[in-house]
Amino acid sequence: MIRHMAAFFLLATFCFAALPAQAADKLTVMLDWFVNPDHATLMIAQEKGFFAQAGLEVEMIAPADPNDPPKMVAAGKADLAISYQPQLHVQVDQGLPLRRIATLVSTPLNSLVVLAKGPIKSIADLKGKKIGFSVGGFEDALLSAMLGRVGLTLKDVTLINVNFSLSPALISGQVDAVIGAFRNFELNQMDIVKHPGRAFYVEEEGVPAYDELIVVANAKKLDDPRLRRFVNALENAAQFLVNHPKEGWAMFIKGRKNLNDELNKRAFRDTLPRFALRPAALDHGRYRRMAQFLKDQGLIKTVRPVQDYAVELK
Amino acid sequence: MPEAARQIIWRSLISFGGFLAVWQALVWITEVEPFILPGPLLVAKSLAGHLELIGGHAAITALEIVLGLLCGSGLGILSAISLSWFPNLRRWLLPILVVTQAIPVFALAPVLVLWLGYGLASKVMMASLIIFFPVTAAFLDGLRRTETGWLDLAHTMTAANPGAGRWAILRHIRIPAALPALASGLRVAAAVAPIGAVVGEWVGSSAGLGYLMLHANGRMQIDLLFAALFVLAAIAVAIYFTLDWLLRRLLPWQPDN
Amino acid sequence: MPAKNLEPSNELPSVGITLRGGNLSFADKPIFKDLDLDLPAGRTTCLLGPSGVGKSSLLRLMAGISPEATARVLSADDGGTITGRIAYMDQRDLLLPWLNVLDNITLGARLRGEAADRHRAMALLRHVGLDDVATARPAALSGGMRQRAALARTLMEDQPVVLMDEPFSAVDALTRLRLQDLAAELLVGRTILLVTHDPLEALRLGHQILVLSGEPASLGPALEPESLPPRPADDPALHSLAAGILRELAG
Repeated sequence: MIRHMAAFFLLATFCFAALPAQAADKLTVMLDWFVNPDHATLMIAQEKGFFAQAGLEVEMIAPADPNDPPKMVAAGKADLAISYQPQLHVQVDQGLPLRRIATLVSTPLNSLVVLAKGPIKSIADLKGKKIGFSVGGFEDALLSAMLGRVGLTLKDVTLINVNFSLSPALISGQVDAVIGAFRNFELNQMDIVKHPGRAFYVEEEGVPAYDELIVVANAKKLDDPRLRRFVNALENAAQFLVNHPKEGWAMFIKGRKNLNDELNKRAFRDTLPRFALRPAALDHGRYRRMAQFLKDQGLIKTVRPVQDYAVELK
Repeated sequence: MPEAARQIIWRSLISFGGFLAVWQALVWITEVEPFILPGPLLVAKSLAGHLELIGGHAAITALEIVLGLLCGSGLGILSAISLSWFPNLRRWLLPILVVTQAIPVFALAPVLVLWLGYGLASKVMMASLIIFFPVTAAFLDGLRRTETGWLDLAHTMTAANPGAGRWAILRHIRIPAALPALASGLRVAAAVAPIGAVVGEWVGSSAGLGYLMLHANGRMQIDLLFAALFVLAAIAVAIYFTLDWLLRRLLPWQPDN
Repeated sequence: MPAKNLEPSNELPSVGITLRGGNLSFADKPIFKDLDLDLPAGRTTCLLGPSGVGKSSLLRLMAGISPEATARVLSADDGGTITGRIAYMDQRDLLLPWLNVLDNITLGARLRGEAADRHRAMALLRHVGLDDVATARPAALSGGMRQRAALARTLMEDQPVVLMDEPFSAVDALTRLRLQDLAAELLVGRTILLVTHDPLEALRLGHQILVLSGEPASLGPALEPESLPPRPADDPALHSLAAGILRELAG
């Protein structure tokens, strides 16, 4: 009797174990924030079926705290996370086992924003002013470099953490400038409420260029075949978006009616030229320059070899 | 040192030591990563290494909590007295008071911060809001439940001038009789005020332990985050026990059973 | 002990109280209806009756602390109202726990916004034997001592009318006898209504004894013993009278 039951259970286990080979592989991707136009290529890969073609069933999760996704991947609780290149340097320096495997947006989006009609016309005008920021762990370094170029230091300004209320803080006059505003998003937001802003792009003000949005995986799981398939699907989506931008928009808002508004429309248009056309490709020199910059700013302790934190999957 | 004080210190050290042991054991057994939950040794190292930084922010948060306690309690006491004096006011205002308690503070916080700015004021206001209802409710309850025998006696003594008598009864009988109830409300307030201060800092600030915790989280310095959290807990505990001691001394006629 | 300073002050002659048409109902059931009562000036009237008949309610009506009870007439025989001329004493001492004994005694003055006469208060405490605990809080006193403090507070009020609702029922028998003697000595000359469930106490202290009974309650004829109160507790005649009253109440 027992032997029969054991045989039955063994058989059942093999059957169930065999099943996943038929169905698509599941993959959890933690987004960096709520779904917004920066995630267009991901949405297209989902809606146009590029993930399905790659044999993947991708679940995308929006986090409550943007600092959580890389931690979840490092702890093995999620497969992939959308994160930021500068934060990756800092996280790896703190010992998190992460690797960048693809790029989503290959230009910086971060900018210093002031009111267009306000008194600040140049970085030098920031002396003695209040600057609002969202905690990303990177704003100090950005501002230090930008201010340093015009002979100012962080001590010449007051930094205030406004959490994620960047535009309201600026518009209400509570702060004179904000850093951490995304040029494709906050600028449009301010335009729509008739308080246009003027942006100073960080990479034009003394900060090395970097990839704003990247895909990170756990360092110990790089041999997972699903990862390469994921990046392939992403590449197909990026290509599709370049060739068919109108259809790309339709796919972005498919099933997400709340995203079909003026702000997202404008942001989508402004993000279009910034998506990585070759998501898998890695520019070692750029990553090395950013690492050196961060070390000089005191945000990381050592400049590691690039392959210790960023790879091109085979 | 008196025996009782020595016993309290011993007991606190032992329970604290026990808590540390359980924490460390948890970290060892679950093998959780240090960037999710660091062990007590890592946190202690971070605390020692950032003493000045943490101390500076701690002083600011402590000030926010204490000011919040003073403002919130002061307002609560005045409200309770007003509501007990004007029964009609009570009928209209009590539902509103309950609503202030029901709204989660982090929903109000951004509005407060935008209105009062990013400095001390918004954090003090947050802490005050969080404790306002518990203090008001506790004190009002005590004011309304005065022993009827005392009230009867007082009415016979002030029958010649009942108008003035009502105020005298409030001042000399109702309020002192309600002080133990107020003390309970204040104890709850002391335990809860730190939450208001920290939530206020999370929404917008340039200093304080909440701000430091956010910053450390952004930099993946989780050991520093926990060190700041530990200091926050220590401040909350210190404030609670100081208040408790103060209340015992001010209300000596209410010994524990 | 000479009872100086304990007779009502010269400005306050004794005052008799008249109650006509006292009414009290509870949940549509009348407790007493159209009740008349006279408290002769300067005399002690003891009110007896079974539990729950309405004795306390009647006393509270006269004290002005029973909003549910009404009376057609409630006045003093010198033409004024009795409002503000009453001192009240309950079976609970009603001492405020946060005040010391001296401050408790002088509570009335404080509530009325007057300066408290501390000399007189200390003298009263001496008379009731509590001067050595004047600065102690009620929690440090025994039940008997607390009731003595309540008595001193009642005296401190220096009112012509004193209404006492079973003031000695919560203490042991020996303390009760002592308190009865003390009260009789210190309250001499005032108009007193003493509600009690103890016929012996009524007979010891009362110039006239009334029994409240029935549903709705009514007052029986007054019993006026020959001798003056306080009458000795060991008088067998008193005890048999008390037994008789008890039989009447029970039967």
